Amino acid sequence: MRVSYNWLKKFIDFEFGPQKLASVLTSVGIEASVVSREYCWSNVVTVKVLDVQKHPFANKLFLCKVTDGLNNYSIVCGAENISLGQIVPLAKIGAILPGNVKIKRVKIRGEDSEGMICSESELGLKKRSNGILTLDKDTQIGIGLEKVLGIDDSVLEVEVAINRGDCLSHLGIAREIGAKIRKAVSYPAIKTFNVPNLDCVKAAPDLCPRYIGMLISDVKVCPSPAWITNALEKNGIRSINNIVDIANYVMIELGQPLHVFDVKKLDSKMIFVRRSCDDEAIVALNGKKYRLDSETIVIADVEKPVAIAGIMGGKYSCVDEKTEDIFLESAIFNADLVRKASRKLNLSSDSSYRFERGLGWDITELASWRAANLIVEVAGGAIKARQDLQNIKYERTSVGLRFRRVSKILGYDIKKDEVIEILKFLGMSLQLKSEIVLCTIPSWRNDIKIEVDLIEEIARIKGYDFIPTLFNHRKNGISICQSNNLFLPAIVEDFRTKLNGLGFNEVLNYSFLEIDELKKFGLDYFYRITNPISKENEVLRPSLLPALYKNLLLNISYGCERVAFFEYGRIFARYGEKKTFAIIMWGKIWEEWWKWLEQKIVPKYDFYFGAGVVRNILLSNEFGITENLNPKNYYHSGQTASVVFEEKSVGQFGILNPTITNDIKEDIFYFEINLDLFDNNSVHFQKKSIYKAYSRLPVVKRDISVIADKNLQFSEIEKIIKIFMRSGNILRKYSLFSAYSDKFKFGENKISYSFRLFYKNDEKTLTDKEVNENMMALLDKLYVKLGLELRQ
Amino acid sequence: MDNMNQIVNEAMKRIKNSDIEMLKIVKSEYLGKNGILTKILKSLLHYSIEDRKKIGFEANKAKTILESEIEKRKEGFKKALLVQKMQKEKLNFSPIFYFPFSKGSFHPIVQTMQDMILAFKSLGFSIAEGPEIETDWYNFEALNIPENHPAKDVQDTFYLDGTERLLRTHTSPGQIRVMEKLKPPLKVVVPGRVYRNEASDASHSSTFHQIEGLRVDKNVTLLDLKIILTKFIHIFFCYEPCIRFRPSHFQFTEPSAEVDVKCLFCKGSGCRVCKNLGWIEMLGCGIVHPNVLKSVNYDPELYSGYAFGIGVERIAMLKYGIDDIRLFYENDLRFLKQF
Repeated sequence: MRVSYNWLKKFIDFEFGPQKLASVLTSVGIEASVVSREYCWSNVVTVKVLDVQKHPFANKLFLCKVTDGLNNYSIVCGAENISLGQIVPLAKIGAILPGNVKIKRVKIRGEDSEGMICSESELGLKKRSNGILTLDKDTQIGIGLEKVLGIDDSVLEVEVAINRGDCLSHLGIAREIGAKIRKAVSYPAIKTFNVPNLDCVKAAPDLCPRYIGMLISDVKVCPSPAWITNALEKNGIRSINNIVDIANYVMIELGQPLHVFDVKKLDSKMIFVRRSCDDEAIVALNGKKYRLDSETIVIADVEKPVAIAGIMGGKYSCVDEKTEDIFLESAIFNADLVRKASRKLNLSSDSSYRFERGLGWDITELASWRAANLIVEVAGGAIKARQDLQNIKYERTSVGLRFRRVSKILGYDIKKDEVIEILKFLGMSLQLKSEIVLCTIPSWRNDIKIEVDLIEEIARIKGYDFIPTLFNHRKNGISICQSNNLFLPAIVEDFRTKLNGLGFNEVLNYSFLEIDELKKFGLDYFYRITNPISKENEVLRPSLLPALYKNLLLNISYGCERVAFFEYGRIFARYGEKKTFAIIMWGKIWEEWWKWLEQKIVPKYDFYFGAGVVRNILLSNEFGITENLNPKNYYHSGQTASVVFEEKSVGQFGILNPTITNDIKEDIFYFEINLDLFDNNSVHFQKKSIYKAYSRLPVVKRDISVIADKNLQFSEIEKIIKIFMRSGNILRKYSLFSAYSDKFKFGENKISYSFRLFYKNDEKTLTDKEVNENMMALLDKLYVKLGLELRQ
Repeated sequence: MDNMNQIVNEAMKRIKNSDIEMLKIVKSEYLGKNGILTKILKSLLHYSIEDRKKIGFEANKAKTILESEIEKRKEGFKKALLVQKMQKEKLNFSPIFYFPFSKGSFHPIVQTMQDMILAFKSLGFSIAEGPEIETDWYNFEALNIPENHPAKDVQDTFYLDGTERLLRTHTSPGQIRVMEKLKPPLKVVVPGRVYRNEASDASHSSTFHQIEGLRVDKNVTLLDLKIILTKFIHIFFCYEPCIRFRPSHFQFTEPSAEVDVKCLFCKGSGCRVCKNLGWIEMLGCGIVHPNVLKSVNYDPELYSGYAFGIGVERIAMLKYGIDDIRLFYENDLRFLKQF
């Protein structure tokens, strides 16, 4: 909302300028900033043209004499519209015009000019203008142009908290200033009249607790005077005609939205405030047609709705230049219903904005009289009759405050006298009872309901600056940490640290995906957003893959040769949120180096390297890597494996299915693991770090090669070796260091595997004989079980 | 005896002047199987016992001296060879290095969150985590945001199809869940991801992160809140903090405040980051509303508490001077590698 500095001054007498006002308002919780001083010139005054002569040496110029009442000035002017007796703006010598144009004494074609008569464009008021600006004939001369135009003002943009509907007016803002500087606000002079009572309004109490209607006849509808249009303009409201403008003027002055009907356009002498019927519709003032339902309050005559209560009037019943008799409405409508209707119709207005936030009981009457006064003053006419329908018995709220609670909540003292003073200037009437004060809350403060609300008021008006700052924040050197858990589960921290060292980059993605993004990966979603404002927010991610894949493509697109990302976040699976960790990698494992290029070493991420990374980060041997019996669709069916923990599959990894990644030649490795089992508090995550004595005896290494059938799963061979190694065998470790096939050497469909075997006995040094015997025993097993033969 | 000295002097001279090949010859001439000194030692048998002792002693002494001298000379040659080798191996490039892995990085949001939590841990807070899919009760009702309250509209909530559930719009439901589970006194922070159904631009994102703080005890006050936040900013930003409270409104706190920090970049004199205001909006906070305490069956007469909520993206943007929130979720390596 915008407020005018000068207008506020009419309500409350304060000394400070606009900038200071903004900081005072901010300090009481209304964020304010000065948006504009609306003129940017200095030393431009109104003058009267006394004489106009043709310039002796220039056809298109005139020599003028003007006066500001004190002095006469000779001016050379080129405007064709200048004439005797006009009131015009004169930029005197020393004046500054927009664009930092300085006015100096000049000679134009040999004639002195003591200033410049200005056009609207020269003053920065309009982009283009024809000739000089001429003012009303009765304009006072010798005063600043900005005063004449009513723009010697500053406009402040203020942000009012959602619970402070009472501040949505100049009066409301002024009351806040008043409380802060401990001064009372002065209301505009409002005359009330004794007029006959009307009985034409029928309203349901739950829809409309109070409705004041006023009948004013014989008004003359015409454009508003400048002071009204100026005031509206500052608040961004377009001028319509004097009657409508006054209704809006009073709204921004006092905060009560008003509406005016053309009496002749109503189909009866009765006005109903009722719920709309389901099949009703109305064309609103904005020209659009709205379908209504029973959750919408309407103002209606016997026939039809004539306004959507609290939101917008109907086009049909609006005031136009032919209107003579008007019905002025000042009412309170059910805030919830106005809000709901406004959302449902997608129609909001200055009026609905205020009704939604709730209105005070008393202001309804005040605003009604204020508007009636102004209408009679500006548009003539006479107040004929009036109805004040009070559907409920309004009772003022009282809230008790125990003085000791103030410092109990705030932690610092505010003197009792000051507490009382603040409450008074907030408009409360007080009843003191030793340690308690009973406050009657003013009708406009419907946000104050309980004791802490009062305490906040006291702290706020006293100023939050008053909260002590002189405590020593560096003393008390001891820091006690009550908990051991980190934000990220320890297992995630472990993954992150390791991967960071391996040159992986951590990423974060949105939790949302488009449905179309899922199809490609054969994924289903489990949570769909009911009300997304954007397509990007259609569903919650059932996997981290689609977004990571998108990240990968983005980085490839600008020429990256290597992408290795990891992400930790929640996915939304069939049974709810799951803490998930994922890795994606593609491209060259290492950055190129000429020395390795010489040797033709340009390793790229493949299944084995990926599996190695996975193996490396899974911290303990409790994780197993097994054949993937139930691979996700997005994996390459032949290059995937499963991560098992306590016989449960917790994750899968592998090369992405080439049908997904057909644009990309190289393998993309992906790994996703569910970490719900490894919470900080879970027993599963206890690093087993108990020291075990190790033997200092040497290890004996042997290499053997065996020839196997190509169709034989390598895991079958491993199984045999592992069984063989169990329980005290001197074979402790093995590794595969070569695998290759050669038709001529080994025959069709055969492959040679070379193993390095590590032997060790913890108690004594091994002899050759022992090792050889053991090796033969292993070869025996491999031959008997799988038909493997020793390669000679 | 002069003879022995002569032999040693002669040998020393020859060692000194020999190259690596000559040294071998000299060594064998004196210490070899038929070397001069070896011969002398072998011939001792022919002397009297007295002479034997004397000559033996002298000859052994001479042998040790020559041995060590030859060894020294040998070492010298070895060293010289190595120096030569290094000179030969000198790379003809200016300093160059190679490490196969490029630089890894942590995401700035995760890192900022971790850093913030460490700061709060050092101030004695525990850490709790709640679900991202929430119910109306935890996200709104229990926090004193009733049905049909305009405050609910402001939150731009994502609702989930076919359920009564929604995506939490703030980490404040964590307050309720913590209080339900524990009895006062308590002091926790609840970090997490939150969602708002709004169009994204340079400063808004439908997904972002918050850290919620809550302390409930007897006699917790607004002053305590100011102290703890001042301490946090001191620890986190490592600079003498200057903070300002501004009155504000949140449904679940009363009194409520917004906290501004004196601009970290210009120290209050006005710059681009603080839009020349000298202050930067940092977080919202307040004293827990009695209705919130009541919703978890705490007695508001007995207990009071403070609560605060900090936007992690906002802090990270300040910390790293980032001006567009969307950069965090683009995951462009040119961005990520800077952290």
